[in-house]
Amino acid sequence: MQTHMKQNLWGYLFIGPFIIGFLAFTIIPIIASFYFSFTSYDLFNSPEWIGLDNFKEMFTSDPRYLHSLKITFIYVFAGVPLRLLFALVVAMLLNTASRAVGLYRTLYYLPSLIGGSVAVAIMWRQIFGDDGIVNLALMTMGIDPVRWFGNPTAALWMLIFLSVWQFGSSMLIFLAGLKSIPQSYYEAASVDGASFFQKFFNITIPMLSPVILFNAVMQTIAAFMTFVPAYIISKGTGGPLDGTLLYSLYLFKQGFEFFHMGYASAMAWVMLVIIGILTSLIFFSSKYWVHYESEGGR
Amino acid sequence: MKKSLLVLLGMMMILWLAACSGDDSSEDTSGDTDDTSEETDTDSDSEASGDQVTLRIAWWGSQPRHDYTLEVIELYEEQNPNVTIEPEYASWDDYWQKLSPQAAANELPDIIQMDLSYISQYAENGQLADLEPFLGSEIDDSNIAENTIEGGRINDGLYGFNLGSNALSFQYNPEILAEIGIEEIPETYSWDEYQEMAQQAADAGYYFDNGMQADVFFNYYLRQNGARLYAEDGSGLGYDDDQLFVDFFTIIQEQVEVEATPTPDFMAQLAGPEDDPVVLGDGVGIFQWSNQFVGLEDMSEHTFAFATPPGENLEDGLFLKPSMYFSISENSEQKEAAAAFIDFWVNDVEANKLILGDRGVPVSSVVQEEIADDVSEAQQAVFDYVAWAEENSTPMGAPDPAGAGEIIEQLTNISEQIAYGEITPEDAAEHFRTQAEGILGN
Amino acid sequence: MQAKYLKKIIYHLIVGCFAILLLYPVIWLIMSSFKSSEKIFATAESLIPQPFILGNYAQGWAGFGDYGFDTYILNTFIFVILVLIGHLISCSLIAFGFARLKFAGRSFWFAIMILTLMLPYEVVMIPQYIIFAQLDWLNSLKPLVVPAYFGHPFFIFLLVQFIRTIPRELDEAAIIDGCNTFGIYRRIILPLIVPALATTSIFTFYWTWDNLLGPVLYLNSPSKYTVSMALNMFLSNETVSNWGAMFAMSVVSLIPVFIIFFIFQRYVVDGISTSGLKG
Repeated sequence: MQTHMKQNLWGYLFIGPFIIGFLAFTIIPIIASFYFSFTSYDLFNSPEWIGLDNFKEMFTSDPRYLHSLKITFIYVFAGVPLRLLFALVVAMLLNTASRAVGLYRTLYYLPSLIGGSVAVAIMWRQIFGDDGIVNLALMTMGIDPVRWFGNPTAALWMLIFLSVWQFGSSMLIFLAGLKSIPQSYYEAASVDGASFFQKFFNITIPMLSPVILFNAVMQTIAAFMTFVPAYIISKGTGGPLDGTLLYSLYLFKQGFEFFHMGYASAMAWVMLVIIGILTSLIFFSSKYWVHYESEGGR
Repeated sequence: MKKSLLVLLGMMMILWLAACSGDDSSEDTSGDTDDTSEETDTDSDSEASGDQVTLRIAWWGSQPRHDYTLEVIELYEEQNPNVTIEPEYASWDDYWQKLSPQAAANELPDIIQMDLSYISQYAENGQLADLEPFLGSEIDDSNIAENTIEGGRINDGLYGFNLGSNALSFQYNPEILAEIGIEEIPETYSWDEYQEMAQQAADAGYYFDNGMQADVFFNYYLRQNGARLYAEDGSGLGYDDDQLFVDFFTIIQEQVEVEATPTPDFMAQLAGPEDDPVVLGDGVGIFQWSNQFVGLEDMSEHTFAFATPPGENLEDGLFLKPSMYFSISENSEQKEAAAAFIDFWVNDVEANKLILGDRGVPVSSVVQEEIADDVSEAQQAVFDYVAWAEENSTPMGAPDPAGAGEIIEQLTNISEQIAYGEITPEDAAEHFRTQAEGILGN
Repeated sequence: MQAKYLKKIIYHLIVGCFAILLLYPVIWLIMSSFKSSEKIFATAESLIPQPFILGNYAQGWAGFGDYGFDTYILNTFIFVILVLIGHLISCSLIAFGFARLKFAGRSFWFAIMILTLMLPYEVVMIPQYIIFAQLDWLNSLKPLVVPAYFGHPFFIFLLVQFIRTIPRELDEAAIIDGCNTFGIYRRIILPLIVPALATTSIFTFYWTWDNLLGPVLYLNSPSKYTVSMALNMFLSNETVSNWGAMFAMSVVSLIPVFIIFFIFQRYVVDGISTSGLKG
């Protein structure tokens, strides 16, 4: 009993800051937005209770909503695996003892450091422009040039490329994870005559799995909420033909351009449910593939 | 390596010790930031003791506007030592992003630069003060045309003070016009004649224009046919005959088909206005607001001139649009002082020698004359065109209703779909009507 | 021996070429900052500025009105440092609690924390703004900085995942040595999660540096503006945008982030490999 109490006390002592911050700054806005989702609220007047109407409208009479949901799914399920794979490959390439590696790491990280300023949008527009470098490369390969900004499907893929290009944050986390794998494990395996692939699948992947889990969860959440790239690349329109109207962009438009904060809140809560289900699936599956050293092998 | 690790660790320890009792950390930071809030506290103290007034004024714009507006504020503070003005400026996007939470929290600045597309939203929801009581007292309106002032009227109140006027125009490159074999664009020309000229340009390998912004020019077209985009009371669309919709967008589509206007995917591909074919000298002209002329001249190596947009019924189509307003927020506690600043802005000649028509052609006739010698040639051309348009236009009517933002977006979307051939103009007309009436009927 | 050299050369060739490919857009950005505003678009396909001008930097650095770009950079630095300190302290503590301590309600609070990540900021923004308005915190750094001292879910989760890779035997050994719970945190865990803390620092630094929405909402006085806000002010929706100055200042604002990354990335990867897992 005594130790129980003591354990709880220590636990809450450590996570206390989170709970205080949550109660002070976060819980009220969350409850408020939940309430707004059942109302018609234009930011200026008091919200008006309309029950489930917002949700009904979303799924029955708002084709733009369904469209934005669809392209967001494409964005997430094409973009996240590509980005993670890319990040992992580069992280492994850079996980060597070479002298120049610090410089390489920084260079590879540079695209991510640029972030989401307008300069990126302009830059991206040049590169994917009619006589930009991408179309130039396509033409030398004998492929017809593509109007990246004029074709809704191409525009979405261009956004996906942008997210893959800014792979730095995942790469860095992978690198940190790779470095925390004790070198002795590999040495022991080498002594046993293990090949590169054996080492990769038997040591690297299991040891890295908590970090892979982290990246998978976080990148999925972040991809669902992608706003800035879509906003700056399409100049705030989500065009052409709503090709880049990602969920968050449409939500933003509803909330702040059309002043339908109630509807926007309802959209947010639907998204929360979707992300919640996906994340739980990932967490649930993690029992089978994530290996925690602290909890002693499987 | 080990050493640097120790340093970092040491840092963490210090941080930890500093934050030993958890909550202290937050007090630490508030200690840091308190300095700034104390400053503002003392400001408000002196306000209470003397006759000191502090006004917050917010605007959007670009670098030159920020610079000269700050100079005007300085000038005003020199002349009115009891007034302190706190400027808050931002880019267009950031500005509106900031304004809505401020409105929700009753924290709007005293003077707000307003745009036609947002004014109804803010006014109808009680965020803006009625300026009517200040006319003739704080704000001298003796040199300002009645029609101009009315541009800020929403229902029964005057919720924005018009700062300048714009008119629709065709801004063309005379050299290219000559090259395609047209000597001059007549003052009025029919839509058919417009299409003929455009064909001529296309034949010569030039674009005639770069399209027409759907919401602006559809409204213009409707006005020429005795209707308008929104009903006067804002309860629905202002036209009954969908044939008008079909006719207008058919013209637009035909222009693209004969290659007198760039295709929509070409336009979407442009990085910025600097890449526009007209700016680069591959097109005759641009249909746009008069005030955009100065920017066009700045951007391009070519020189441009003013002509009118198409349509025989020009006078009904044209109107003077308030370029922007200064509004006073309802939550302001110094409405009189704010109104006095607006008066200074619109009537003071010295101030307007700094402003030089950047916020639209000055509304005061006296100011307009006084600064005539100071403005650039391009700006003078704008003044002249607007002066001409003033004589040859009809009143604008009620500003866009609340919800117009969404309608404009729908219209832009639908016109995009027409341009991409996803929908016929006939279907689009019907579709747009259902959507728009749904939005405005709410 | 020769094979080893060959391997090295191939490695550098691949990694180097790939880096250049990835960096092309960045190089384009930097080169464009030396072109005049009109030339940026007209000569977009050329990387060589002709003529090469420095005027964009002078113009951009002058800033707006009374405040030069140095003010914005200083403001952003203060903002970033305050947030960074907050994150390092609070996130490591909270993460340790979640990863190592067993207490009633642990899963519940962890789920809540992950949940707060999933709601878009846009919909909690207005109520939160009103809370900060009630506290009279508007037009100060407080709404942007104070919450950082109560943890950030992303970093808490990151640190939790790293702590869970550390073998528990180390804790047990420390307990035998007479450490209490706090001692384990300080003596065992903290030194071992330096790479993750460095990662936290890097992310915090450039996310905060880039943060636009927060400063836009909460900072009103131009004297308090941050770099991200200032960059947007070079743009215009009505007239000509000053692209040259915007590009130039984008490059300038990249430098601090770049330096910070270069310094901290060593800790990300060197931290553990040198200190080792000797316990």
